[in-house]
Amino acid sequence: MTSTTTELKVSAFLAYKFIAKGNRGTTLLTILIMALAFVNLMFTTSVFDGMGDATENQVIDTLYSNIVIEPKDEEIYINNPDSVVKKIINVPGVIGTSAQYVTGATIAYKEKSGAWNIRAVDPDDERMVSLVPDMMIEGEYLSKYDRREIIIGKEIAGGHGGSLEHTSLGGVVVGDTVEVAFTNGVRREYRVKGIFDTNFFQSNHLAYITKKEMESVLGIHDMASQILVKTDTKGDEGRFLNQFVELGVHEDIKPWPVYAGIVATLTKSFDALNALTGAIGFFVAGVTIFIVIYVSTVSKRRQMGILRAIGIKESIIVRSYIFQAVFYAVCGCIAGLVIMFAILVPHFIKHPMVFPMGNVTLLIEQKAAITRSAGLIISAAIAGFLPSWRAVRETILDAIWGD
Amino acid sequence: MMERTERVEQVERDEQDTIIATRNLSRTYTMGKMQMTALNRVTLDVRRGEFAAIMGKSGSGKSTLLHQLGLLDTPTEGEIVIDEVEISGLSESEKTIFRLEKFGYVFQEYAILPEMTALENVYLPAMALGLSREEYVTKGMDALEKVGLAERADHRPREMSGGEQQRVAIARALINKPKILFADEPTANLDSASSRQILELFRALNRDIGQTILMVTHELEDADIVDRVIWLADGEVVDREG
Repeated sequence: MTSTTTELKVSAFLAYKFIAKGNRGTTLLTILIMALAFVNLMFTTSVFDGMGDATENQVIDTLYSNIVIEPKDEEIYINNPDSVVKKIINVPGVIGTSAQYVTGATIAYKEKSGAWNIRAVDPDDERMVSLVPDMMIEGEYLSKYDRREIIIGKEIAGGHGGSLEHTSLGGVVVGDTVEVAFTNGVRREYRVKGIFDTNFFQSNHLAYITKKEMESVLGIHDMASQILVKTDTKGDEGRFLNQFVELGVHEDIKPWPVYAGIVATLTKSFDALNALTGAIGFFVAGVTIFIVIYVSTVSKRRQMGILRAIGIKESIIVRSYIFQAVFYAVCGCIAGLVIMFAILVPHFIKHPMVFPMGNVTLLIEQKAAITRSAGLIISAAIAGFLPSWRAVRETILDAIWGD
Repeated sequence: MMERTERVEQVERDEQDTIIATRNLSRTYTMGKMQMTALNRVTLDVRRGEFAAIMGKSGSGKSTLLHQLGLLDTPTEGEIVIDEVEISGLSESEKTIFRLEKFGYVFQEYAILPEMTALENVYLPAMALGLSREEYVTKGMDALEKVGLAERADHRPREMSGGEQQRVAIARALINKPKILFADEPTANLDSASSRQILELFRALNRDIGQTILMVTHELEDADIVDRVIWLADGEVVDREG
């Protein structure tokens, strides 16, 4: 057997004996502390990841779906959007499409008014790409043949506890009539058919009318400002882009993240916060393990002296303490994951945190769990090394018979 | 001429028989501005197979001498040759291996690990030498057999008496077949019956397998059981206790 193998074997044997036959209460307490250190590291990250995920989902579900097809730069509208839809609708993974007009307009109610975006949609198509039809808090969603009817987000309506209440219309209810002034100068009165709340401030600032109604306002036919495309998975929209081009779609094709500037800003800020809280978390975890191992080495100082006296190498002893610390950290990570998945995640699914981007639950990303586990284990190894290395630096006589 | 040749051969035989030799060995401790000499120019030889006791009054330097010879401490001056190896030339890690391969220790306190069984305590040094599991378990059982504790192999220290724990420590000291067994007041914490048992065990090991034993003791009656007493007074070797 090589000397390194022998040393590893003896170190592992000592570590195993110290853990398995040592004080069980101390072992359990140490693992609990490690688990809490791990939860501390994971919790903030999971909240931030949950917020990012919630925002992404809102952008997809209530604003842009997965892919947006837009007119080329020099064009205002996509001509004959049905022909574009026909090219892509049978691509595997494409669930639905919604060709729509988007225009700015001023909406007025009594003395109050404001400028918002109005989307004009085919209600049946829209149901395939958006969750807004399912988020009505008053009245109902549009029907295919509705004319002079509008649905508005709660930030426009007002009176529903929106975040920008002072810019709203101040309390419009279903059945009220609002006046809409379009950018081409057309003014029309619309009956409010429904009010929706997506829990996302950006989509709550939208209003919807039917496509046919908008075509009568704009005086155009069979065109679209954009086509939203819903796909079956999130995150791999890139694979559709080339396919669409190959199928003869010559318009601009963009995946949802291009429009999700808010997500990028949030992610950047969360990454910075994550790095800061992570560094502090690792430091706290490292100090905790250091204290635990330090107390252990102090109480085993004489034992370490005896081991050295009988010819056990310092490196074997130090490594046995590193193994112990790593064992505590690994168990702590596992226990921490159990706490996260069995207690905290179900709790926040039941009682989500309410943020402007919607209801947020904890999101445990595999990458975050692996990096934090690895970080905690490395911190533990260092924290196990330092006090034991320090302890074997003193003379054997001081270790066995010193004060 | 013939007479001279016999004398030279005798000297060479004596040198080969000598397992420990010290020359002008001193150990001085610095305590603040004070210098305290614990050993002063000690010169002595211990023969292979000898059972020697180091005796003297408290503070005479008995344990300090044992620590220097057992490589647990480093002398301030002087020379130590053990098994024909000049010790001052060894690095700390070489001393560790030297201790593992050539020495066995029995301390006043039982000094066995409470987390391990008697057998595990005993075979740990053999395991550290890189033997296979089968080898170190067999050697561990043999060592426990020698000290009469084979049937207690799976017991942990807390389940054993002080005398039994000390015998486990002796078995651990014997496992790597050490050249020298160092014992630092091995009976100080034991009742008289257990003390007697330990000393008889030392005597038997010395008689049956020729084990070299160097033992520090403050019990005068222990002088009767050893081959030789090295008397110390004020850090110096003297003819008899002063």
